[in-house]
Amino acid sequence: MKITAFVLLAFAVLLAQPAAAQPKVAIKLGDNLPDRSNTWGAVVEQINAEFKAANPGAELVTESYPDQPYQQKIKIYATAKQLPDVFKFWSFTSLLKPLVNGGFIEPLNPSDFDKLDYLTGALESNVYNGKLYGIPVSADLWVIYYNKKLFKDAGIEAPPATIDELIATAAKLKAKGIVPMVTDGKDAWPLCVTFDQLAWRISGDATLPRKALARTARFTDPVFVQAAKELVRMIKAGLFQDDLMVSDYGAARNLFGQGRAAMYLMGSWELGLGADKTFSAEFRSNVDAFKFPLVAGGKGKVDDLFAWYGGNYVVSASSKNKALAVKYLQFYARRFPALAWEKQAALPAQKVAARPGDTAVAKTLLRIVAEAKATSGTPSLDLSSPRFKDDIENAMRELASGLISAEEFTQKIDVAADKASRR
Amino acid sequence: MSARGPFGNRLVIAALVVPGAAVLVFVLVVPLAFSVYYSLTDWAGFGDYQRIGIANYREILTDDPVFWRSLRNAVVLIVVTIFVQNPIAFAVAAILSHVSARLSRVLRTIYFIPAALSLVIVAKLWVDIFNPNFGILNKVLIAVGLKALAISWLSNPHTALGAVIWIIVWQGFGWALLFFYAGLMTVPRDIIEAARIDGASVFQTYTRVIIPYLAPVISAVIVIDVISSMKQMELIYLSTGGGPGQLTQFIGVYLYQKAFVAGEYGYGNALSVVFVVVAVGLTVIVQRVLRAVPRDEG
Repeated sequence: MKITAFVLLAFAVLLAQPAAAQPKVAIKLGDNLPDRSNTWGAVVEQINAEFKAANPGAELVTESYPDQPYQQKIKIYATAKQLPDVFKFWSFTSLLKPLVNGGFIEPLNPSDFDKLDYLTGALESNVYNGKLYGIPVSADLWVIYYNKKLFKDAGIEAPPATIDELIATAAKLKAKGIVPMVTDGKDAWPLCVTFDQLAWRISGDATLPRKALARTARFTDPVFVQAAKELVRMIKAGLFQDDLMVSDYGAARNLFGQGRAAMYLMGSWELGLGADKTFSAEFRSNVDAFKFPLVAGGKGKVDDLFAWYGGNYVVSASSKNKALAVKYLQFYARRFPALAWEKQAALPAQKVAARPGDTAVAKTLLRIVAEAKATSGTPSLDLSSPRFKDDIENAMRELASGLISAEEFTQKIDVAADKASRR
Repeated sequence: MSARGPFGNRLVIAALVVPGAAVLVFVLVVPLAFSVYYSLTDWAGFGDYQRIGIANYREILTDDPVFWRSLRNAVVLIVVTIFVQNPIAFAVAAILSHVSARLSRVLRTIYFIPAALSLVIVAKLWVDIFNPNFGILNKVLIAVGLKALAISWLSNPHTALGAVIWIIVWQGFGWALLFFYAGLMTVPRDIIEAARIDGASVFQTYTRVIIPYLAPVISAVIVIDVISSMKQMELIYLSTGGGPGQLTQFIGVYLYQKAFVAGEYGYGNALSVVFVVVAVGLTVIVQRVLRAVPRDEG
């Protein structure tokens, strides 16, 4: 009798549940922006909040790691077939192409995105086999950020225009106890980008790395040897932090943001430095950027801009909620440029208009883009296979640590390019 | 119950053995078999792949200086732990066995703190101590007038391996101390007193009586040292990542980087298979050698 009463009661409770308890649809997001309260991470959080408000049934679960661990995590997720539904990745042949070839990425409908004011060539950077696989989010320029106050304190009047002038700043800054320049040496890719940049400044020809990868030129050609020597000269002159080769992205960025280093060699995705409340107001008001200096006697021009579209967002082909994932991506593409610019968090791959309240560094980056006469496209380390990327990064670590000569470095990457072209 | 009893029945024995054996097969044999299979491919970890025979193994053994460097570093670490860390740990354990119980307890706790800390904390702690820009080590060196020694410890090619080995030893010292101290506590007082009565000095008591008595403990510590040195991964990954160049590379980090950074999952698996073979081989050799060492049983 008691059991019957209990069953009836249970039914009554079940029936009394409000019919409105509609199950939420969750999509998993992944990105390399662990700081969710500042700059880019905060922009994504706002986009997510707006998306959830517009789609009450949607639940968004974000997983975030620093840059390099994030890339590794995505590769592990791909191996384990557990990719997030929508995730940030890089458009490169070395990173996105293997995922596209493996059938992990959902092709997108270009008409969903082609009216969203993307800069010339931006969407095309995500096209493989004639299909659009991702949406670009940032326009990436290779620049040097600097702290105007630290420059002034050390008696440096203007940003250096040549590598010789850049090296000359090192002694002045060191005399004041300031690290002249920082970058992420541990991960080696910033040094590889700088190597490409130097080769272009020397030769005036941005296509040489592509030709070397296609084996119509050689990485052992004098231009590349000279570029490697210039890079070694910069390191040996004490331009970079002493622990360059074990200093990762966060460590380098913090040294600059905390006013311990005067310059930061990095891409325009760090535009948010001018608005990052992690750092002091004094730093934010003094941070600016300048064009990568010229090499004396080189054929490159100051307005040859090393620029590419790297960061992008893709949808997993195995997403169980593909329609919602694509809807999120469309929403992101519409909201990102305005919000990113409003918060001065990133230089979007879509057109933005200058505003009077823009930070100094944002104004400078816009000016650098406007003054560009030629652009490079993707750095060579990302134009080939993952193996080539690993090989050139390892060779760069050896070069920058003083373990091999410039000639040996170029021979190593030439062998790597040879292997990559044969696979 | 039959006359043969429950354990005389083969079915019962099988029923008792099979679950354990199945677990062993699934957690050890099957993954290893997968590793061997993928090691014979050029798989990137996803997508299509081709079988390429023993090409990965050939490259590892004949054309991969980083592999040999990793192996050499593991051997250096083994040598340092066995011949530097262990004697010091033993000496400290011996001293602790002679001081008052209270002081001994306090000191043992202090010595064991590094071993109890998370690897991430240990790595970050030492990376910061060694930091040439704001690290305390260089600040102290400069303060005492040794500016020439204030270098970038972890990125200087001459000091990087020594610095990471120092971190590993610093963390592992507590364990060795604990083993030796526990061993020393088991040595019967009467054999020590017998040795003294026979006229043995303190040094002779240790070398002729206590150390031979503790041979099984020392052997166990050495085997653990060999295994942990071979599979050293986390501290390297968190401190130098194998750099500068590949000077502080260890196989654990290297195979991870190959599989998940370079996208050479097949090659990474081949490295892991070679690693298992080398680690098991080395452990067996060490155990044989230790067993062959003559023990003075009096």
